[in-house]
Amino acid sequence: MITSGIEEKTFILNLGPQHPSTHGVLRVLLEMDGEYIAAAEPVIGYGHRAHEHMAENRNYHQFLPNMGRVDYLHALAYNHGYCMAVEKLIGVVVPERAEYIRVITNELNRITSHLLWFGAYLMDLGAFTPFLYCFDDREHILDLLDRITGSRLTYCFFRFGGVPVDLDDDFIFGCRAFIKRLRSRWVDYHNLVTKNVIFIHRAKGVGVFTKEQCLLYGITGPSLRGSGIAYDIRKSEPYSAYPLFNFDIPTGENGDIFDRYIVRLEEMEQSCRIIEQALDKLPNGPIMAEKVPKRIKPAAGEVYQAVETARGSFGTYIVSQGDIKPYRIKLRVPSFANLSLMVESFKDNLVADVVAILGSIDVVIPEIDR
Amino acid sequence: MLVDSIPKALAPLNLEKVAPGDYAKTGYHLEVAAAPAQMPAVAQALLKEGCFLESLTAVDTSREAFTLVYHFANFYELCRTVVHASLAKDTEAPTISQVYPGADWYEREVYDLFGIKFAGHPNLKRLLLPEDATIHPLRKEFPPEAETKAEAPK
Repeated sequence: MITSGIEEKTFILNLGPQHPSTHGVLRVLLEMDGEYIAAAEPVIGYGHRAHEHMAENRNYHQFLPNMGRVDYLHALAYNHGYCMAVEKLIGVVVPERAEYIRVITNELNRITSHLLWFGAYLMDLGAFTPFLYCFDDREHILDLLDRITGSRLTYCFFRFGGVPVDLDDDFIFGCRAFIKRLRSRWVDYHNLVTKNVIFIHRAKGVGVFTKEQCLLYGITGPSLRGSGIAYDIRKSEPYSAYPLFNFDIPTGENGDIFDRYIVRLEEMEQSCRIIEQALDKLPNGPIMAEKVPKRIKPAAGEVYQAVETARGSFGTYIVSQGDIKPYRIKLRVPSFANLSLMVESFKDNLVADVVAILGSIDVVIPEIDR
Repeated sequence: MLVDSIPKALAPLNLEKVAPGDYAKTGYHLEVAAAPAQMPAVAQALLKEGCFLESLTAVDTSREAFTLVYHFANFYELCRTVVHASLAKDTEAPTISQVYPGADWYEREVYDLFGIKFAGHPNLKRLLLPEDATIHPLRKEFPPEAETKAEAPK
């Protein structure tokens, strides 16, 4: 926290809010002691759209499109979390095929999010080529998802009780072809970046999150797993069809930038494994629950539902008072906690590492601002 | 098992309610009700059990009171604890940011959107809204969108 009594030997440096490496509109005030950071204070809220307030003035269906806009990079996980919370409130059971479709599309979306992070982050560090590689790969998924969801980024695909559109043969074929292609690209990715000596020097031992810090700040997602704690909602609190598939939770050891990078790269491969298994075992049957009320009016009560997004644990907390509108919706977004720890890890680092640390926790600012 | 050890750890605090929750229905393994003044002690006990603060928010429950809602979870074992603390309006709640530094921002957000003050908070100022804002939009008396819309130009 920067207080008024700035010491004579320090000065203030302003980063953002329009700096491209802040991934949205984040402003960070840095109190500098020469080249080193003495204190940092982020200023957020530039992208505040009052989603939680909107929720109180809409019925449950009308709020659904908002969910794709909270975190635009992994919109389907937000769809999923909100739909599951409402389904719990009204007691609707989703058919098996719909759960599989949810998992497949969700994991594809997770890969797009990690790919975009991979490219954008390395561009922050000054490498332009990986950006072109991964956007090439990402485009294939966007086409696939566009085919069944109708949009490329701000998806509003899941419905209370299932999904509205079934997968077709072209999608399944395209999906398998894409996974094959992506796997063939790992070699290039690792040769280009993971073994790159400039990258290794910038990433190893920098921006370390200790296990204790993670506990005190409530860090989740790849940023936590990089520190060696295998906490992933998909395994820790199994939901949807995830318990039916075999996949691993990659973890790091040192909690530095490099570990978080490796965890995300490994996670994409695990997502490929999940998608493959889901396509192999895809059951026949309906894609929507039979009796979903058109007018949703849950009984008074509250529910908390967590799901794993590309950035960590996303929680939907809904309070119902038996009305057609939710009484209160709180969105627990992972980047919020992750960013508040990042401030701590800035301390005593070089100003040149700020961008490296900031990018490594994969913040999506509009998600924090809501 | 945290479902057993957390109630034991909370027993000396004489809380209003410590009961097992209906996980399938609400997503909670333990439901706790406490007074806001007890929250630093509750947070300390939960930290000792290895739980992290998952979320902290408020609900404008009635004309007389807010409810502060704290969610705690654990990295190694599935156990979500919810703590409800009813806070009379125009009173302050003690901060838990000295126990969980991560609560710092959550409390600033609650202050920003509800106007609830946290006594002892090191830096209680607005987080999401502009610093000079005068509104607390998640209070129920704040007009909904339809009423705040500007009139169409004639």
